Amino acid sequence: MDASGRDLSDAPLEIEVDGLRKTFGRREVLRGLSFSLERGGFLVMFGPNGAGKTTTLRVLATLLTAGRGSVRVAGHDVREDPMPVRRAVGLISHSPMLYLDLTAYENLRFYADMYGLEDREERITELLERLELSHRRYDVVRTFSKGMRQRLAIARAILHRPRVLLLDEPHSGLDPRAVDILDGLLAEIREEHTFVMVTHHIEKGLELATRLMIVDGGKIVWEHGAGVARETFNAVYREHVQEGSVL
Amino acid sequence: MGSRQFMAILRKDLIRELRTREMLVSMFLFVMLALVIFHYAFGVDEDTDLTSFTGGMLWVTFIFSALLGLNRSFAQEKDEQCLDGLLLCPVDRVTIFFAKMTGNLVFLLIIQAVSVPVFTLFFIERSYLADIGLFILVLLLADLGICTIGTLLATISMNTRARDLLLPIVFLPLIVPVLIAATSATTGIFADGADLGDLAARLGFLAAFDAVFMVAAYGTYDFAIGE
Repeated sequence: MDASGRDLSDAPLEIEVDGLRKTFGRREVLRGLSFSLERGGFLVMFGPNGAGKTTTLRVLATLLTAGRGSVRVAGHDVREDPMPVRRAVGLISHSPMLYLDLTAYENLRFYADMYGLEDREERITELLERLELSHRRYDVVRTFSKGMRQRLAIARAILHRPRVLLLDEPHSGLDPRAVDILDGLLAEIREEHTFVMVTHHIEKGLELATRLMIVDGGKIVWEHGAGVARETFNAVYREHVQEGSVL
Repeated sequence: MGSRQFMAILRKDLIRELRTREMLVSMFLFVMLALVIFHYAFGVDEDTDLTSFTGGMLWVTFIFSALLGLNRSFAQEKDEQCLDGLLLCPVDRVTIFFAKMTGNLVFLLIIQAVSVPVFTLFFIERSYLADIGLFILVLLLADLGICTIGTLLATISMNTRARDLLLPIVFLPLIVPVLIAATSATTGIFADGADLGDLAARLGFLAAFDAVFMVAAYGTYDFAIGE
């Protein structure tokens, strides 16, 4: 069940990860991760810094190659068939991935062309309005506040209407208005998308998730469906995550 | 290769550069300073005939100025953390290469369009207007070689900590064949008009060099721009 009461048990799998391993040099960052997520699901990954959460997201987004194991997103293998995966995925991370010397419009136009959007102008106008950035449409991004850049980054990530949205600490660095806009937007597009979110924001994670996961040392140390109370989660986190790790 | 994506990357790089003029200004200043230094270094005695050095002076200046631009071409993507955004897009990595390479080529040609007349004024005594078409062909083919190798190596070096140091170290030895052919062809044109047989051989070599490195870039770029 998701937050809105939808039953996802019969939904097809949108993300399938089986035995994922990833090594940087001699350091094994992911050590046999396996999980799956139904279409429309919302997976929230918690874990200490360096646990492998962001690496997992980057493999799902095809920004890193999977070492060993198999990873399928939107029905396509990320290693063998990355193009359809890239079309299906949007990524919001703490870095906005925007060109600071281009205007908001020029940035979105660039990404719209990269994704081959047919309704480029309408879509850009719609998103700028939705994210309350219409009045800064022709301003260079360098002059934007951090919150405004992050809002524009959200527009960049959902511009091509991705099926899967990967969120890497999306609330970090946002001003309260941008947090409201992001939460409103997530609620609005919730039903048509599948989400994987990495966060340290426990309340937000527990509120949004249909599936919870704690990753530590490159492994899943705890997995659960939605509906876990904050106190219970804290106890579970302390029990599973190695001493000295910080959430 | 997606033409819309190619144009999007090229347009983005051109707009950004024309707005900031980071690369163009540094390349232009470098070329002008080098020409002034050459002028005083070699022109002590006004009777000295510098014609046989002109091709070398010109191409050494262009190669070092191109290095300045090449270093910046990916630094911007990396510094503004936009490379991930670019790599997330459903675009052939080869399209990224050709768009970036074309951008570098355009910037180098802009610098040359401004600096060649100045160079001619400083160092060339004979009019080479009759051979201007051949000279432009030499410029284009040599520039293509410089930008092809340069873009490939700039991509590889951008992920290293010492990218500003690494690029010249790997780029300069590889570009020597282009330097030799372009210098020889240019000196011939400036000195006594083009010897068509000799020039054809140099042009043929430059074209073959460009083709080989383009094929190499085509085959390896996916790996070069990867993690």
